[in-house]
Amino acid sequence: MGRAKVKRGSTHVDMTAMCDVAFLLLTFFILTAQFKPSEAVEIAPPSSVSNKHAPQKDAFTVSIDKDNRVFINMTDEIKGDVFDELASERNFKVTPDDKKYFMMAGYVGVPLNQLLQYIRIPSEKAKNVQMPGVPDDSTNNELQAWINAAVTAGQGKKLNFLIKADNATKYPAFGKVIAAFKKNDIYKYNLVTNAEDVPKGTVLYDENLKAQQSGKK
Amino acid sequence: MAEMEVKSGGAKKGPGVKKGKKLSTRVDLTPMVDLGFLLITFFIFTTTIAQSTAMNLNMPKDTDKPDEINKVKESGSLTLMLGKSNVIYYYFANDPAKMQTTNYKDLRNLILDKKKSTPADDLFIIIKPDKDATYKNAVDVLDEMTINDIPRYAMVDPTADEYNKIQQTEKASGVQ
Repeated sequence: MGRAKVKRGSTHVDMTAMCDVAFLLLTFFILTAQFKPSEAVEIAPPSSVSNKHAPQKDAFTVSIDKDNRVFINMTDEIKGDVFDELASERNFKVTPDDKKYFMMAGYVGVPLNQLLQYIRIPSEKAKNVQMPGVPDDSTNNELQAWINAAVTAGQGKKLNFLIKADNATKYPAFGKVIAAFKKNDIYKYNLVTNAEDVPKGTVLYDENLKAQQSGKK
Repeated sequence: MAEMEVKSGGAKKGPGVKKGKKLSTRVDLTPMVDLGFLLITFFIFTTTIAQSTAMNLNMPKDTDKPDEINKVKESGSLTLMLGKSNVIYYYFANDPAKMQTTNYKDLRNLILDKKKSTPADDLFIIIKPDKDATYKNAVDVLDEMTINDIPRYAMVDPTADEYNKIQQTEKASGVQ
């Protein structure tokens, strides 16, 4: 009598579906990832134990590089308004084209009288241009004018003032930026830093631990 | 042998010759899946780490009116002056003549000692970064205030006398 043979199941799994999913996810992550905008100035911020994320909206950033040059950058929501405000304050004759170029330019690190020429430089070439930095001396404090324009243009919004400086930036350069903010009655700033672990055994470490435990319960 | 037959594909086969095995068109996708997930993991990790953090800094309003100036109890004050090459000069109370030096590693113990020996309401730390201090120094000290939970501190410029004294000390000890 012939016995019915038990069919041996194949151990081979079809990987096609899994492969599809993997690459779909991969494509999704690559496309949605926000790449860091190419930075004209390289700044290595110091690290701090602060765990608050730097605000990304309505942010007005003043950057100071290791040679103590000052640069200004803004998020797109306020950029156009600030430009209009500054132009009307300084009686600049600007065309809609100028504004378009300004929106595309990244960091501003030139005195106002060179601004309109600078923003017309295409971004590939702009990287090679050595920017002198925004003047913030007591005789010609354009940084103060920029901040003033941002405050006026950003009325009704809660602007976030970020200061991003390099490890090697000298303190007086930072002090000058603070002074320019103070002239505009702004006393709250966010200092951009890299995250760092809280040292063990310190007061803050114990507090964080307590907060974590009570949060879990 | 199967391989041989594949190579001599054009040869005529007699009745007794075995049929050439049909090669499977199925490709093993396992390594490709591995690679895909590896890349996904990589992208997920790199995107979350890149976010930078921010620490809050509130500065007081500049004022000339004497009644608006904060008074600090002498016994509770510790002044830290940040100098060149990551050296900290400090003195207690209002006594710059007794200036001592320390560094960023020992700073925490210094602050904790002071915190223990002073009533909490009197404790006040004055941070004076001088012209040669770097931004990192200032942030490190501010960070130390957060770490050790110092409720009251202020950042001001050193007086001309203090700056001169630091300069002299630096010269004497050969700090570059």
